[in-house]
Amino acid sequence: MKIKGFLKDVTGASRVTKRRKKLFDEASTTYTYSDPIREVEEEVHPSPLLMKVSAVENVSPTTKKFTFVPSEKETRKLPPFQAGQFVSLKLDIGTTKTTRPYSICSAPFEARQGKDSFFAIAVRNGKTDGFAANYLYSNLKVGDELWAELPCGQFYHEPLRDATHVVALAGGSGITPFVSMAKEVAHGTLPIDLTILYGSVSTKDIILEKELSEIHSDHVRFVNVISGEEDYQGEKGFLSAELIKKYSFGNPSEGKTTYFVCGPLPMYRFVKGELEKLHVPAKRIRMEVFGAPRDITKEQDYPKEGVPSKVRIHVLRGIQEDVIDASPLESVAVALERAGIPNHTRCRSGACGYCRSELLDGKVYIPKDSDGRRLADKENGYIHACQTYPLSDLTICIPII
Amino acid sequence: MAFYKDRYDAIVIGGALAGMSCALSLAKAGKSVLILERHNLPGGIATSFVRSGKEMEATLHEMMSLGPKDDPLYIRDYLEKMNVAIDWLRVPEAYELTSPKDGIDIVLHAGYKDQGKLHYDDKQDLEFIAANEIEKAYPGNRDEVNRLLNLCRKVYLSTLYLNDHTLSKLQMLKDHEELVKTAGYSTKEVMDTFALKKEVKDILSAYWVYVGQPISSLPFTIYSFLMADYFLGGSYVARGFSHGMSVAMAKACEKAGVQFEYCQEVEKILVEKGHVKGVRTKRGYTIYSDYVASAPYPNKVFSTMIEPKSEVPERAYQSLNARKMSVTCFSVVMLLDQKPEDLNIHSYSVFSSEIPFDTDKFWEEGKHLGGWSYLSTICLNLANPQCTPEGMTSLSITVLPLPEAFFSVKADDYYSMKRRLAKEMIDKVSARLGINLLDHIVEIEMESPMTMSRYTGDYNGGVYGYQHSMDDSVVARLAQIKDDIYIQGLAWCASHALTGNGMACNINNGRIAARTLLTMMEEDEKKGERR
Repeated sequence: MKIKGFLKDVTGASRVTKRRKKLFDEASTTYTYSDPIREVEEEVHPSPLLMKVSAVENVSPTTKKFTFVPSEKETRKLPPFQAGQFVSLKLDIGTTKTTRPYSICSAPFEARQGKDSFFAIAVRNGKTDGFAANYLYSNLKVGDELWAELPCGQFYHEPLRDATHVVALAGGSGITPFVSMAKEVAHGTLPIDLTILYGSVSTKDIILEKELSEIHSDHVRFVNVISGEEDYQGEKGFLSAELIKKYSFGNPSEGKTTYFVCGPLPMYRFVKGELEKLHVPAKRIRMEVFGAPRDITKEQDYPKEGVPSKVRIHVLRGIQEDVIDASPLESVAVALERAGIPNHTRCRSGACGYCRSELLDGKVYIPKDSDGRRLADKENGYIHACQTYPLSDLTICIPII
Repeated sequence: MAFYKDRYDAIVIGGALAGMSCALSLAKAGKSVLILERHNLPGGIATSFVRSGKEMEATLHEMMSLGPKDDPLYIRDYLEKMNVAIDWLRVPEAYELTSPKDGIDIVLHAGYKDQGKLHYDDKQDLEFIAANEIEKAYPGNRDEVNRLLNLCRKVYLSTLYLNDHTLSKLQMLKDHEELVKTAGYSTKEVMDTFALKKEVKDILSAYWVYVGQPISSLPFTIYSFLMADYFLGGSYVARGFSHGMSVAMAKACEKAGVQFEYCQEVEKILVEKGHVKGVRTKRGYTIYSDYVASAPYPNKVFSTMIEPKSEVPERAYQSLNARKMSVTCFSVVMLLDQKPEDLNIHSYSVFSSEIPFDTDKFWEEGKHLGGWSYLSTICLNLANPQCTPEGMTSLSITVLPLPEAFFSVKADDYYSMKRRLAKEMIDKVSARLGINLLDHIVEIEMESPMTMSRYTGDYNGGVYGYQHSMDDSVVARLAQIKDDIYIQGLAWCASHALTGNGMACNINNGRIAARTLLTMMEEDEKKGERR
């Protein structure tokens, strides 16, 4: 090596240039493109899949279970997912284009078994989300096709983070992600010890009971907790601190149990308080996102006065501007949907950020509990349309979809 | 319904840092510009995400080329000129390197004696703080460390000059002697001419991960740029996370009149008679422009995007076969339930080696799935104490494997693969800290090449572009900049472009792409061929 003399060498630049040129010159003129990373990525997180309803089943007097298989027109497979995650269904109801998130109640292994792959959701003919739930409950039938985006969300057991002992606290249709977890545990592919405490007002409200009773595993315990039937033979009352403690592994404050919570908003608020009473470490509590509050004006910090009953939203998409009518009682995303303007939503709870849009002018209300925005977005006027409520006329800029 | 104008002066595919700086530069030159970004956020991997209400940095990288306000480097000047307002926080140290097998555990700081009075481009040699720190641990090396870093500085200053000017060979030799004379050598070759202890050379090679090339094949030109820039100017993070930086640039684009459209994937670049004429998006919109800057890799562009395919010259395919993909990354990003000091974490940036320090070995390890012994651990709190809720720690661990390490991964194994690799990395850092980090995790996400592919679409999840090796030296790239144009009207604006990877380098890549397109516009106009 003549390295010692490099400070006299002035030909280095042309040497490396020739070296590069030579490599190019000598390289083959035919090129085979392959991106195996992308192939796996597209299998793991596919763009929306066309699914077909393969079965509809009553799983309580007010709830139906819908099973979906890939449509014959769909060439792709269902992706692997993690028990507890949700699917976002695209719905066209009249002139409204909307989406709804549903926790998947079938197990991950059932989505990855060749020709027999499927996923399932349970839909309650609901009070909380009347519009879409009622539509699905009353209209969706075997053979119907829908676009589905999955897997979504972070509500799953993460072994690097969560305790092996899990207590699931469920209310209403919030039982669904835990049915998926329980099935996966019984299948031997989710190594946790799962106790499900399922709170209902009456035994009539219990959904998917048959599914749960069919799961036989030493690692799954299922306990109904009934608040409205005096003579119920079993756990009665609410998902109280006392009850949670009874079913926990070790003292809840020691952090040996992770609590997964899924249910309607009032239940969240109650259970959160109970877990606080037990001094459960924050990292041991996993809350599923909970959708929109039923009445936004009842939120504590919602402005008491000065909110008009009707507003207009100027919607910019590229160089096009549309003006739509909206109600302060509904989110910006709902206003767009009613106007038939496509807008990408997924979790509809303010968390996932897929409906991120730019607020150029106007005043809005964003419930604190559902403000999943990044710091810079808060500081620069970006909103998550699904959890943003107009307080005045607005001008927003949204992606062209 | 018209969402787009009929025609733009230029279309930028990809709204990451390079794309945005390209658009800003073009807009500044009075051009109408459209950015088409496939994701719904700006910045590419310079971004962040929120878990259970807590924001987490996705790119635990630091921003170079800014320098302190009173001794600014070129990107600070550029961002100011482009009206990009970012609240920067200084990273306290350059890095800590710990390599127990070599007995190395040292913390180095950026900066030099009398900084502020003297400037980074001062005629006289500077005395680097790091040289004193090395001297303390390894006496008798100070002068040589200073000599090496000053050599790096001179090469750096020349590189910066050449970034904006072209020179004759004679002028080059006269004014940029150090660059000219080191241009043909690898970092190892040049470093070996210095009388430095082996450990000191190792210490001064720790940054190899920021270009992903072992020092035996890393051109000294690139090494110089990296070392001089970091040790002169230090590094910074945005107060509002990397997303804050990206949003600030996106806002500046909008103010400059750039049309920035999210959720728009470009499927085709339309070419006619060797010249770009427009793009077609996945949603089916055809948008016309004679000039396109592309963040998609040349591999993807020439193989799947140029329409018609007959417009791709053979030379383009040869370039794809000749060039080698650089590293990608695998990161574990965590929020922990205690303060950094309670977890024994005292440095923002720690490079740690489990085996005797050897960049060739570290790089070889990157061909396999796991068993990685060179880890970069970053604790954001130590640069940005407000980045987590009180009493928590933001910690990330990153390795830079080659994409090929992941080629055998199957979709069904994807989640278990991520967890296995993450656990291995967490266990190693836990052992170093003497604290089991697994007991402290509040939130955790694992980012794989597939994650990169998901959010950016980057070919093979590659985040570092092509290898910065002696086969594809930046000096040669610069010399062949015209030969590398295979289709008129097409420029590149991402890590695969001239200056390679890194946030600041990509801002520079964007500037260069804009300049390339502006030159093409002028040439076309002279020829009277285009509008």
